[in-house]
Amino acid sequence: MIKTLASRIWKFFKSFQLTIVLLACLMALVVLCTLAQVEMGTQGAVNAYMRSFFVKRQVSFLPFPLPVFPGGGLVGLLLTLNLIAKTLDIQRSWTKAGMWLVHAGLVILFAGEFVAGMMQVDTNMSIEVGQTVNYVQSYKNMELAVIDTTDPAWDEVYSVPDTLLAKGGSIAIPDTPLTLNVKRYYPNSELSNLPPGAPPSLATAGIGPGISVVERPTVTNDNELNTGSVFVEPVAGGRSYGVWLASMALGAPQSFTHEGHTYLLTMRLRRQYLPYAFTLKQFRHDVYPGTEIPKNFSSLVQVVNPSQKESREVLIYMNQPLRYEGKTFYQASFGKNDTLSVLSVVENPGWLLPYVSCVLVSLGLLVHFAIVLRRSLKRRQDKKEG
Amino acid sequence: MTFVQKYLSWAAGALALLIALVFALPGGKVRGFDVAGFGNIPILEGGRVKPLDSVARNSLLVIHSRQGFRYDGRTIGPDEWILDVMFRPQVADQQPIFVIDDPDVIGLIGAKQTKNRNYFSFVDLSSHLEEIQKQAQTAQPIAPQKRTRFQSAIVNLFDRVYLYYKLRNTLQLAGSPGLGWELQSISDAEASARHQDLMQLSQFRILPPLPGGSPDAWKNVGEGLRAMAAGQGVHPALVPLARLNAAYVANDPASFNQALADMNGVVSTLKPGALSHASNEVVFNRAQPFFVGLSIYFVAFIVLCISWIWKPELLRPTAYSLLFAGAIVHTLGLAARIILQGRPPVTNLYSSAIFVGWGAVILGLIVERMYRKGFGTAVAAVAGFASLIVAQNLGTEGDTMEMMRAVLDSNFWLATHVVTITIGYSGTFLAGAIAIAYAIRKHIVSKVDVETDKALVDMAYGIICFALFFSFVGTVLGGIWADQSWGRFWGWDPKENGALLIVLWNAIILHARWAGYVRERGTMVMAIFGNIITACSWFGVNMLGVGLHSYGFMDQAFYALMGFGLSQLVFMAICYAPPRFWEQKPHHKA
Repeated sequence: MIKTLASRIWKFFKSFQLTIVLLACLMALVVLCTLAQVEMGTQGAVNAYMRSFFVKRQVSFLPFPLPVFPGGGLVGLLLTLNLIAKTLDIQRSWTKAGMWLVHAGLVILFAGEFVAGMMQVDTNMSIEVGQTVNYVQSYKNMELAVIDTTDPAWDEVYSVPDTLLAKGGSIAIPDTPLTLNVKRYYPNSELSNLPPGAPPSLATAGIGPGISVVERPTVTNDNELNTGSVFVEPVAGGRSYGVWLASMALGAPQSFTHEGHTYLLTMRLRRQYLPYAFTLKQFRHDVYPGTEIPKNFSSLVQVVNPSQKESREVLIYMNQPLRYEGKTFYQASFGKNDTLSVLSVVENPGWLLPYVSCVLVSLGLLVHFAIVLRRSLKRRQDKKEG
Repeated sequence: MTFVQKYLSWAAGALALLIALVFALPGGKVRGFDVAGFGNIPILEGGRVKPLDSVARNSLLVIHSRQGFRYDGRTIGPDEWILDVMFRPQVADQQPIFVIDDPDVIGLIGAKQTKNRNYFSFVDLSSHLEEIQKQAQTAQPIAPQKRTRFQSAIVNLFDRVYLYYKLRNTLQLAGSPGLGWELQSISDAEASARHQDLMQLSQFRILPPLPGGSPDAWKNVGEGLRAMAAGQGVHPALVPLARLNAAYVANDPASFNQALADMNGVVSTLKPGALSHASNEVVFNRAQPFFVGLSIYFVAFIVLCISWIWKPELLRPTAYSLLFAGAIVHTLGLAARIILQGRPPVTNLYSSAIFVGWGAVILGLIVERMYRKGFGTAVAAVAGFASLIVAQNLGTEGDTMEMMRAVLDSNFWLATHVVTITIGYSGTFLAGAIAIAYAIRKHIVSKVDVETDKALVDMAYGIICFALFFSFVGTVLGGIWADQSWGRFWGWDPKENGALLIVLWNAIILHARWAGYVRERGTMVMAIFGNIITACSWFGVNMLGVGLHSYGFMDQAFYALMGFGLSQLVFMAICYAPPRFWEQKPHHKA
């Protein structure tokens, strides 16, 4: 009984029908995903169709979205199982060596896309000419930074990610006497001057009391940014320092002093500090003579890494990124009259997998064609002789 | 095949090549003026040095959709036209070269559309320039996909009029006494304002870089005059240019040709090599290898069609030799573009069409050598003809050898990823074309010929394998390029998705065949559907206007693509229908 069930499952997974149905599903998904990009933006469409196990639709009479079609994740998973089963099922003979290589390469290619979908982290680094930067920042996620600026030589930075702010309650800042009571958090908001006669703001200190905050629906489009705002009450040694408003829309940080320590409060894009720093020495934006057509963008940076006792110059330019300590830095954008360079930073532990796959598949196809060619030449020879 | 037939067939190919050669020869002098020599002067436009002839041809293509026109009972070529525009605008302004097809735009300029009257001259338009500009400026901020037909047409007309206006005011301000007068009155009160206008309106830079400066520092006439007014001396090219201007206006061919020789002397001292580079490009322009090539393919296809009903033993090899001649012309044209541009063959949509056609023709030639049934010739001629027609239509938007934007500026990836993926397109199209030939043959030929059918299926199958290999490798190489330049291997960008669809579809065909789900006819139906998928991924994704790859939106092309898709569906139905399904059943004998 169990054996027949197992052999049925095995048969199902190694069948050609499954391959063809899955490939057809994948084609449908690719078409839908491409068309959806016009409305949803690339990232939105990819998340809905490719990086999900089911494509869901909201139906009016149901409280939850209904899965209507297998998503890219499910199809990819089944296709991988199908591929593995098929690979194991291919005769283990030298004549099938090419096919083995091809299918193994494809498994690795799918694995690479899974790893990228799950683990890839995209951040960026903007540096002005002459500036030194030792952090990368997120494109969308925010944090509330509490910075102890007492020591003129360095800043002590403590940050609370937006996900924690959203939970509310009181948050103790480790290594300091401070506790933050989150009064209210807005994932996206619009700030304006408090009109006369309006109900008073939650804030009691800093510039917050003069500002009114209105909640806005969050945006997910590629080139839009949420304006996160939060009302927090720092408490230290049993004493409240008032309720402060921190927001992405407020430029200058606000500060208060506790027992001789000065703390800055500011809302900003989430940063990840690096054990090394980049200094932008030169940014170039070349155009073709007599036109505005860009010919080249490049950033000359000094990489200083004290832990490796390393200090060297690197030129990052189009099609020539810097791979450093697991991160890859690409020339992405520029601004401020060509004095600001924006590097996009990608961390993908699986970045090598597609390269391996490419080599395996190409090799496999070549081997297979060579085998087929030899066979057909032999057949032709036999025909001549026979 | 007899000895005579063999030579006759090859003579046809040689004749075609000879005709192609005639195109490349320079034309004679016009009214004694060395117009062709004038077209040979190198200038800088769009970031690259090219002959004036290229500016003339591309501008005339943009404005008039053709490279020449008839006026006053004779044909006016691009070089003569641009001379008139720049030096005798009062003559050029009368020539009806602006094509306007949109009835609303024609109504706007107060004319009625009649059969022969959708060509307008600059004089016709000049009293409506303000209105055209006003309408175009309201339409311009709207995204191209969202414009109405009228808005697209008016923006298009405005761009063409503006191009013409700029050309008119590049070497002299139209209506002024000319460049010589400009040189004499260098310091009069309004000179500075005129220099400013010349600088702003200039369409190209004709003054070669001076020794000691940057080698790319070409200047336009306005900049040259401004430098002169600032006491930096007369640019050596300004003087012969002024003499060219004066001689052309005074209708004095001898002085014109003398001034031209002096101008060439100045250019070759200041920028050695520019003149010969320009004259190579002029030869390429004149030869029009892709137009000649598509004509030869057309003739080859017609000859092959005739061969099926008349003298096959003579005409089939003739068609093959014509196809071969067409392929030679096509290859030479492709090679010339590679050399002139210093780039791998595919750099934009236009060149991809040329390359797809080339790949299909070469594959077709090989298939014909292997099977010798005429089908390779037929599908190769049709594929080459069709793709060059597509290229001709894509090439009306200006310079087809434009400079590559920074991210694309990588000869290595252009040569590997772009070329392999384009060969994949060629293969998929050729397999589809063979399948169409199979479908039509099934219904036309009366006697059942299993062997030919099998040969066609074998051809299609082999080409699909070939196409799968190239499109897969090309797609993966594209991923690697993306990883090198944008930081991700795969981003589900529309163009990437299009390439993936081709790979998936070819994989489905092969797996369905290996598993035995489809046989001859099924494979062929699927191969035809491959045409739709390839066309959509080649052109369709550009119409969505999203993603990093979307380099150019084409509105009219949308309908062409729809039409192509529908025609392929019809062919699929024909292929799927049982043979001779419309034929009357034989009467029962009583």
